[in-house]
Amino acid sequence: MSAVRDITLLGRDAPLWLAAAALRRALAPAGVTVRAVALPDEDGPADLYPTLPAIEALHNQIGIDEAALLRGVRGAFTLGQNFVDASGAGQAPFLHSYGAFGTGINGGDFFPHWVKARRHGLGVGLDDFSLTATAAHNGRLFLPDEASEIYGRSDYGYHLPAAAYAKSLKAIAQHLGVEIFETASVAVERSDDGIAALLLDDGSRVESALFADLTREGLLREAIGSAFEAWAMPGDRMLTALAPRFAALPVYAEIRAGTDGWTGLFPSLTHTHVVHVFSSAATSDEAALQAAATISGLTLEATTIRALVPGVASAPWAGNVIGLGEAACSFDPIHGLGLHGLQLGIVHLLGVYPAEGGSHAARRAEYNRIMRSHFARVADFQAAHHALQNYAGPFWDAARVLPVSDELAHMIDVFRARGELAPQEDESLPPDSWRALFTGHGIVPESWRPAVDRVPPDEVKVHFRKMLGFVREQVLRQPTHDAYLARILQRAHG
Amino acid sequence: MTAHGPYRIVILGGGTAGWMCASGLSGLLAAADYDITLIESDEIATVGVGEATLPHIKTFNDMIGIDEAEFMRETAGTIKLGIEFVDWLRPGVRYIHPFGTFGDRWTNADFQHHWARAQLAGTDSRSLQDYSFAVAACHANGFEHPNSDPKSIRSTYSYAYHFDAGLYAAYLRKWATARGIRRMEGRVVDVVRDAESGDVASLRLASGAEISGDLFIDCSGFRSLLLGQTMGVPWVDWSEWLPCDRAFAVPCTGVEPLTPYTRATAQRAGWTWRIPLQHRIGNGYVFSSRFCSEEEARQTVLGAIDGEALDEPRLLRFQAGRRHVGWAGNCIAVGLASGFLEPLESTSIFLIQAATIDLAGLIPRRGEKVDPRMVREFNRLFAVHYDRTRDFLILHYTANERVGEPMWDHVRNMALPDSLAHKMALFRESAAAPEYRLGLFSRDSWLSVLEGQGVLPSAANPLTHRLSAADLQARLDDLAERIVVNAADMTPHAEFLASYCASEAKARPGIPATAA
Repeated sequence: MSAVRDITLLGRDAPLWLAAAALRRALAPAGVTVRAVALPDEDGPADLYPTLPAIEALHNQIGIDEAALLRGVRGAFTLGQNFVDASGAGQAPFLHSYGAFGTGINGGDFFPHWVKARRHGLGVGLDDFSLTATAAHNGRLFLPDEASEIYGRSDYGYHLPAAAYAKSLKAIAQHLGVEIFETASVAVERSDDGIAALLLDDGSRVESALFADLTREGLLREAIGSAFEAWAMPGDRMLTALAPRFAALPVYAEIRAGTDGWTGLFPSLTHTHVVHVFSSAATSDEAALQAAATISGLTLEATTIRALVPGVASAPWAGNVIGLGEAACSFDPIHGLGLHGLQLGIVHLLGVYPAEGGSHAARRAEYNRIMRSHFARVADFQAAHHALQNYAGPFWDAARVLPVSDELAHMIDVFRARGELAPQEDESLPPDSWRALFTGHGIVPESWRPAVDRVPPDEVKVHFRKMLGFVREQVLRQPTHDAYLARILQRAHG
Repeated sequence: MTAHGPYRIVILGGGTAGWMCASGLSGLLAAADYDITLIESDEIATVGVGEATLPHIKTFNDMIGIDEAEFMRETAGTIKLGIEFVDWLRPGVRYIHPFGTFGDRWTNADFQHHWARAQLAGTDSRSLQDYSFAVAACHANGFEHPNSDPKSIRSTYSYAYHFDAGLYAAYLRKWATARGIRRMEGRVVDVVRDAESGDVASLRLASGAEISGDLFIDCSGFRSLLLGQTMGVPWVDWSEWLPCDRAFAVPCTGVEPLTPYTRATAQRAGWTWRIPLQHRIGNGYVFSSRFCSEEEARQTVLGAIDGEALDEPRLLRFQAGRRHVGWAGNCIAVGLASGFLEPLESTSIFLIQAATIDLAGLIPRRGEKVDPRMVREFNRLFAVHYDRTRDFLILHYTANERVGEPMWDHVRNMALPDSLAHKMALFRESAAAPEYRLGLFSRDSWLSVLEGQGVLPSAANPLTHRLSAADLQARLDDLAERIVVNAADMTPHAEFLASYCASEAKARPGIPATAA
């Protein structure tokens, strides 16, 4: 195959437009044509995309202004996810926040010192050492500055209502020069090793050297008969609904574990977006709706229910079809990692994009190697949540006994033994996410890195006191979530 | 916890590995919790691994608190900014693997893509070498400590050292014994094992003394007395990819100028090394006995030296490979007892350092027993360190145009590990270079050897087009210019050493020859 000067994306909703805008923005100077074939949107008013902090970098590349985006979509900020037991098992809640725990002590990591102090009776949890987590618990946003950056990373993601986000991205994609085709359905014309063209319902034929599949169901992957490996998960159906917003806007999502599934509450500026995941074998759609209403304690409307098929494409790039987002890998929605998976795909595709040169074989092998490796790490993070939780009920009993990879079993072992994270390649979640997850599910490391014992305990206590004081003082200076959003909204008029 | 006595570590062997490990552990662990004994015998000569190092050693020294100037003075040390490879691609071609970066990342694309784009467009004919400040400093025989301002071109390199391995072990011995490491003179005649667990319980010395411990570190060199012979951990042989199995080492008198880099020159059946120290030059010929007789190799090394030979060439025998695991039961091997890779990229001391640092994090604390979960983690990292280094070494051999020379024909045509074949194919196809988190080597290191061995990209990343061709050329010209101008300004290496760390060591005949 020769140089690829065009790529055609098939998909719908925000992922299609995010990918189209990003690829066009990056590749237009190299003369690459980007076409988007849009199927009818599926996301409804209740759907919302939670993001990790990393999305900001992709938005910046595309030229999206944060304040304008949040104003336009009526979105909100998020500092993480609060995991709460609503199953009656009595597991303590924990926050997976997007900031760092503590700051280094004499050039060494903070965390092993905390592990040791905990073992010696320290009553202060990890969150009190985190600017982001403490801000979240106090209903405040955390806006990093020079002093806070020296202390540690403090970051935020967004809650982006799906339909408005898609609309905004589509306008940007169009403005950037993406060629847009809209069709109610699509047929595929095969070539020897992939796809020759897409046939649209108005009779037009869209030929392309390369295709990217952004459909949730992996329509192009299926068309060329490329394999998909489904993952065993306790939930196979997801309900989404809209509920009134909380008076004071929380600055994080809350994931409540019920006995037969989990319910996620995702605040936006105007509503609370509710997600409920359950197992169709155990729970009817009606019972699930009832459970979602009970667990959220909110009045639900605009309810829709759809199937979940978590898993990964055996070869995310097969023939001339490149899977991006859920067509390549569909995560459990519990950690809100859907756009994260899409972003990983876009970034790595751009790393090997064949705009020049005569062959693709090594690039395709590299894309498949690196995507499978990244997806496996994220899947391990999610599998750890299932394996380690102590919630009550059949949903969680099933989750607890799901198989875990050798890599994850080893990571859990090493953390349990020493409080250390066995370093892995292609890890896209920060170490403190893993620490929040492991400690949040109750792992208390049996021992700690011996180097920590070189620092006298009294010296460590002084460092700890300073950190706790700094965090309190910094957080009190921060705006509440509502105040900051109001400021952004006003700026549009001023 | 206070009911337990200190955790007893016994290190067997006092060469580079033994004393680095002893120093590292004493620098990283709490003195009150560990009791460290090192057993060495004056009757057993050390191989003296490691005259040339990688920049990581500076991190190790800083971590344990070694003063650089003192250390260089005591070991007759010199600066190393990289390795010059001569005749590897084919006779007459040379390049440097520098300890520094090539250019900058522009428009979200790594520098080599911009370089490749300009090369393929025919608008730039400079080698990647011209975009490395460390390479320019090597050519200028200059050295200064890197600038701490990241915007300065003089911040874009790091450095390592060459030193006298015998003096290095002696220096570390003095350093470690001053910090409470107990040194015992003696030869081990028996390894006493616990009948139930099979763990090593104690070592019996020729003097009759018996040294018991909780953990035993095998730095016994090629013999691998504890991990190999006692615990029976099998050997993984890599000679199918790395056929060199002998070396002749010989020191010679120094010559001007004092170069701040190691040189590795390809020969008919292997390669010769040249390591300049303050008081002499270390030399050697690493060769394959399948392709060259020992007498021919001896003549080759004597013909390859710049100064007067200070000794008879000394022969070393080895095989490329590693132990299946580095830690079994309560025995950990460090250095040659754990594996051997020829000194082509000066990795021996790094592998000792990596094992020491990994061990310091995973070793039982006072009152604890060996934890199999920590052993698995150690062995996982041990394999990563060795295997990634192996792939990088093979690249130097396999990508060659020395057609008609039997050893070079063999390595050019052999089947490669899949992991290496993919890296080479990907670079050729797209200019994307290897990048990983664990183990050696960095992307810039791979780039230097890929280009140097004639593995060239046929395309560049399209993100480079976010710069116009004219803007790109202006940036490339500016970068090359800044490198030339700044390198010309460097203090000569010899002058730097004289004012910073002049050694009193004298070259003398009869000094033990050492391998890099």
